Amino acid sequence: MISREVCQRVLSKAVSTGADYAELFAENTVNHSINMIASKVDAIKDGVIAGAAIRVYKGLRSVMASTVDTSEAGLLRCAEQAAEALGQGTAEIDIVLKERIFGDIHPVKIVPSSIGNKEKVAILKEGYFAAKDYDQSITQVSGTLMDVDHNILIANSEGIYAQDRQVRTRIAINAVADKGDGAQTGSCAPGRRMGLEMFDFIDPKNVGIHAAKQAVTMAGAGYCPAGVMPVAIDNGFGGVIFHEACGHSLEASSVAYGRSQFVGKLGQKIANEKVTAIDDGTIANAWGSINVDDEGTPAQKNVLIENGVLKSYMIDKMGGRRMGMASTGNARRQSYAYTPTSRMTNTYIAAGEDKNEDIIASIEYGLYAKEMGGGSVNPVTGEFNFSVNEGYMVRNGKICEPVRGASLVGKGSEVIQNIDMVGTDLDMGQGMCGSSSGSVPTNVGQPLIRVSTITVGGR
Amino acid sequence: MDFNAFKEAVIAKCAELGITEYELYYQNAESTSIGAFQHEINQFTCSTEGGVCFRCIYGGKMGYASTEDLSAQQAASVVEKAVDNASCLEAEEQVFLCEGGQEYQPLEDRSYPLPGTEEIISTVLATQDKLYQADPAVIDGSQTQGVAERSEIAIYNSKGLDLHSVTTLSGLIAVAVVTNGQEMANDYQIKLEKLDTIDTDALTKKAAATAKQKLGGDVAPTGQYPVVFDPEAMSDLLQTFSGIFSSEAAQKGLSKLADKEGQVIASEVVTLVDDPFHKSNPGARNFDAEGSPTYCKNVIENGVFNTLLYNLKTAAVAGKKTTGNASKPGYAGAVGISPFTMYIAPGSVSEDELVAQAGEGVYINSLGGLHAGADPISGDFSLQSSGFMIRGGKKAEYVKSFTVAGNFYEMLKNIKTVASNLEMPGMSGFGSPSVLVEGLSVAGK
Repeated sequence: MISREVCQRVLSKAVSTGADYAELFAENTVNHSINMIASKVDAIKDGVIAGAAIRVYKGLRSVMASTVDTSEAGLLRCAEQAAEALGQGTAEIDIVLKERIFGDIHPVKIVPSSIGNKEKVAILKEGYFAAKDYDQSITQVSGTLMDVDHNILIANSEGIYAQDRQVRTRIAINAVADKGDGAQTGSCAPGRRMGLEMFDFIDPKNVGIHAAKQAVTMAGAGYCPAGVMPVAIDNGFGGVIFHEACGHSLEASSVAYGRSQFVGKLGQKIANEKVTAIDDGTIANAWGSINVDDEGTPAQKNVLIENGVLKSYMIDKMGGRRMGMASTGNARRQSYAYTPTSRMTNTYIAAGEDKNEDIIASIEYGLYAKEMGGGSVNPVTGEFNFSVNEGYMVRNGKICEPVRGASLVGKGSEVIQNIDMVGTDLDMGQGMCGSSSGSVPTNVGQPLIRVSTITVGGR
Repeated sequence: MDFNAFKEAVIAKCAELGITEYELYYQNAESTSIGAFQHEINQFTCSTEGGVCFRCIYGGKMGYASTEDLSAQQAASVVEKAVDNASCLEAEEQVFLCEGGQEYQPLEDRSYPLPGTEEIISTVLATQDKLYQADPAVIDGSQTQGVAERSEIAIYNSKGLDLHSVTTLSGLIAVAVVTNGQEMANDYQIKLEKLDTIDTDALTKKAAATAKQKLGGDVAPTGQYPVVFDPEAMSDLLQTFSGIFSSEAAQKGLSKLADKEGQVIASEVVTLVDDPFHKSNPGARNFDAEGSPTYCKNVIENGVFNTLLYNLKTAAVAGKKTTGNASKPGYAGAVGISPFTMYIAPGSVSEDELVAQAGEGVYINSLGGLHAGADPISGDFSLQSSGFMIRGGKKAEYVKSFTVAGNFYEMLKNIKTVASNLEMPGMSGFGSPSVLVEGLSVAGK
């Protein structure tokens, strides 16, 4: 994208007023999406995102300037803007860039941009009509097939000059069913950091059927009762509980600034001893995986909590400066226009030893959350919420009728103490996580778990 | 190249390919954001972001392609891609580009000279100091941010449309983090106006006091209660469910308001306004995302549903005129529908009287998880909440970590009273006074 020589000149300009660190991040991203609704292909969009951002640090101060002009003149102007904003001073460091090649641990067999619309439409239709034709109560289906080819270049004053190409593919089917007592929705949206070979093992039909089945089940359901009760949360996207209740509060963007419930708790027991939680950006072809983070640090597997004891935070370079700790390869940004900060990659509760049947059998009266929706958290207080897309009442150790409209709320530091049974069947689900550095792809995951007591919002 | 040169290159490419109906939508934003942590500036960002979206009608279908790279190569590429994309579409609705030469309601120029870097830095540092002075409970983690942004939108099409709009905004965000020794709480307050007119004493005191209010507090008891939503909570709820007023959602069976125009859908105390010219909206414009003229309308008037919101395509499907509500989620997005500034018109009673009417109930001033716990299609919601118990007609103790559940369509009919305290919080473009709603479910302890 931008030559090493140009990067060297731009970074030299960036440090000209005394910065102790400078970084150039450039991006060229090609987005493609196909949408269907009312059984027709309704919209197809192509988009190119192209720009660059320069960041400089001096101590604990950071400046970022971004531009859509990636010519050398444009980049030099951007560097000058950043250098001026940092203040008055003279250059204190030399810029010597050495090219580095990060191994690609996420091979791509069928690059989506090399495939025409017709073939992609055919894939989407398979999933779409599997949902549409699933049941007579299905009143509407919408579907999207999207692919992203995200090319980044990172050069910094530590000498790194590296590029990475991140290809992602995702299909999403949303179904609406109505049996006469109100419309209910179901959805399924698997994605991978790979090309269209994703459909070699994810059958689009199953995606459609999954979404439709959920909508049809919930359309027949009554409202979830409100109250405090034990809840079993199933694997896959159920892992959103850890992501919200705990994950965000372990990001340096909260911890380094004293805005987290877990500040100063390293080495302490913060969770039930059954809980081991991991953030791993290195899982081959997983949705939240990276070869290298957006600051040029290689992706890592970080054990966050081991048998209930807090072992690590997720740290970016600036967070690390404040905390006196090294980056953990978690710096991420949606695009060049966002300042990167510490974010999750693939975050999950590791498999435990409890059997699924024992977990359900242990609940006399409670909720089984088969599929979770999204959620949010305030990392300062740890108060979180998330919705249950598909829930069932549990009575006397048996899964009973489906219930709609449930949500779970609580406080992160309390709920992770209350995860007192952890199953064996770890699985992941895909999401887009929104925070100050924009929307980034993340995996959440866990086996079936039991939360001994939590507030269930319903009616 | 700049937008005008890019435009000429696109026009030439269209001529070459025989494309006669097309549009270019250009958006560019230059923004500065400066933040303080403890008593120093720790974060400074200046960014330029934007691009061009090209749309064209080919074979009766609308193809899209967008780019941030305004090069000759991309000018040719967006035309080719949009044509290719159009040729694979199946939707049968007729598509339109906006006619040129229409009349637009005059809109006074609201842009103002933006503060320079020095002014933002000095205001942010002074405000940050005031945040610490506002209350002894305020601790590190508290933050002040100053922002200034100039954004520009231009729409040009082959039917003689050539529109341009520049908007500016500046403002301050104060985040107070407080502690009582056992736990922490936080609150943020935003004020968008010229920096030198912002009352930073009031802003910082409100952030600190509101954060402090959230310390301690118990979980609300489970039950059915009358609920008062404060302006912020009600605005959030209105924003979350605003999609139900879209004719596109209605035509696709995703809103229950299809075929309800002219019927009673809300309590008679409810009047819902969409005003593209509202003074609180820094992005006020007299044209929408397709270039159609915008105007103020009552979407609901005394409980009667006057109109869905339309763009050119959905209006044609319904045999109506566009209401000037075409919108785009960013320059690259497909044209959809949304309100400009939507608010519930104020009633005549004070908030205190409203709370007195509630008698025994719950006052909610904060809702969480709106993107997840609310389903715009069914209208069902179950949302994380905090606020106060109402006892004997007065606000009593602080309560948190409970949920409020109900259905938005039913709730519109169960709004008993609307207070007079209309506010347009934040920069979302939604507003409301406090409202009293009968019979919602609260889940707590």
